Amino acid sequence: MFVGTHNHGQGHETAFAQLVSERTGLDLDNIEVVFGDTRRVQRGLGTFGSRSAVVCGPAITLACERVIDKARNLAAHMLEAATSDIELKDGHFTVAGTDHRVAFSAVAKNAYSAGGFGEDGREPGLDETAFHDPQGFTFPFGAHIAEVEIDPATGVTQLISYTAVDDLGVEINPMIVEGQIHGGVVQGVGQALMERLCHDDTGQLVTGSFMDYTMPRAAALPLITSERIATRAQSNPLGAKGAGEAGTFAAPAAAGNAVMDALASAGVTHFDMPATPLRVWQALQAR
Amino acid sequence: MYAFSFHQPETLEEAKRLFGESDDPRYLSGGHTLLPSMKLRLATPSDLIELNAIESLKGISIEGDNVVVGAGTRHGDVAQSADVLAAIPALADLAGMIGDFQVRNRGTLGGSIANADPAADYPAAIVGLNATVKTDRREIAADDYFTDLFETALEEDEIVTAVSFPTPVRAAYMKFPNPASRYAIVGVFVAETAGGIRVAVTGAGASVFRVVEMEAALTVNFAPEAVADILIPDDDLNSDIHAANDYRAHLVTVMAKRAVEKALG
Repeated sequence: MFVGTHNHGQGHETAFAQLVSERTGLDLDNIEVVFGDTRRVQRGLGTFGSRSAVVCGPAITLACERVIDKARNLAAHMLEAATSDIELKDGHFTVAGTDHRVAFSAVAKNAYSAGGFGEDGREPGLDETAFHDPQGFTFPFGAHIAEVEIDPATGVTQLISYTAVDDLGVEINPMIVEGQIHGGVVQGVGQALMERLCHDDTGQLVTGSFMDYTMPRAAALPLITSERIATRAQSNPLGAKGAGEAGTFAAPAAAGNAVMDALASAGVTHFDMPATPLRVWQALQAR
Repeated sequence: MYAFSFHQPETLEEAKRLFGESDDPRYLSGGHTLLPSMKLRLATPSDLIELNAIESLKGISIEGDNVVVGAGTRHGDVAQSADVLAAIPALADLAGMIGDFQVRNRGTLGGSIANADPAADYPAAIVGLNATVKTDRREIAADDYFTDLFETALEEDEIVTAVSFPTPVRAAYMKFPNPASRYAIVGVFVAETAGGIRVAVTGAGASVFRVVEMEAALTVNFAPEAVADILIPDDDLNSDIHAANDYRAHLVTVMAKRAVEKALG
């Protein structure tokens, strides 16, 4: 499967292969997902805007249906039955109501073998290409709650707990979706509490390495609780919604509001991210 | 990184001879400061003389009331040493706070104090415990060893061989780490030693320093509240994006107070 989206850690190799496996009955191990190689992939735009599952997913399932149709036609020839009598189940094409069947892999082999595809004008090969143009957007939504504790003596903010409840539509792989929520929350918390680009008076970047630019690390975070409800998206056949950015949207607001709420109890009326120890301490001094 | 000659002597004499024969030599121990500097081409020695093969620089021993730590001993080994944990748990605690696992598995006591980074942790223990720095030619008292930013009393080719830490009545180290690098923004070592109370501060200034006002107050009353209202002047303290100098001065008080609490158990 050649896809025009790009995977850089979101698990497309797994989730996209699942879409194919669920429809063809082929083992996940036999499905190779190819992306990001311009010698092999015809065209692509990459990955952005929480769109891979929503935009590429339906293209994958459409291409799958076309390949299956082609294979069913060839299987009918191999099984000497009518195409309308052929069922695809567990990776095999079967003549309905009989034990006559042929494996998908055997059909694939015949599709590329001289004479294997028959002599009645059938097109050889099992390649199909599909595009998907989304008709409208998806609208994931949710509520995130952050709890922080601030040490007024040092200005250190500790995230104590974080709970995210999101509606991300139909999920292809819930474990991967949960991982994306965690990753997004961590990025958002980093923005709210730690990360900051600083330049000196001459414009020189002084946070040019991770010795100075504070990235969120595991030790700075509590276990993140992620719960989901699923309402089908109406704008794509999978019912999926964008998930990749759900955490990054909510976490800065949730963590930032938690910090402001804590500081308000000490008389601070305004505070801008990030809540680094120095900035929190200065805000407490200035009240 | 530019090309350099690499030497691995097995004796101090050989190390010094190589040093004397080279154009622009540097001794190499754990390499956690020198090698990154060379990669950035900030340091361009002609010769690296690695000291890790010199057995006499390694190991931890108890000599009377002193814990003697060889200069080539890794931070991780100090942190986990049964001898150090029994005699001076605060020292093991401090060593366990240095950098991360990778740094603690390579970095050495001698390398750290020869480099004398203003944000290093060990200087606080050495001055706080009134330790003695042993070199290939003499012994240097803690108060005389660290002289300025990245400056020590060491001569050009002098090699730290060990540090002798007197066992205190009680001691503790509290560190406020840089949130990104984990170096000490402020680290305060408080100790009740045979020679009196000592309070040593690292990270805040150009070099480790003592706070005599806190020492005097703790001599009268070894309790957190004794130092709670003592604020050191911030004129000469470090100031950067993570900690302005007034914040560092404030943190010295907070960390000193918490170190006393920790020392009292």
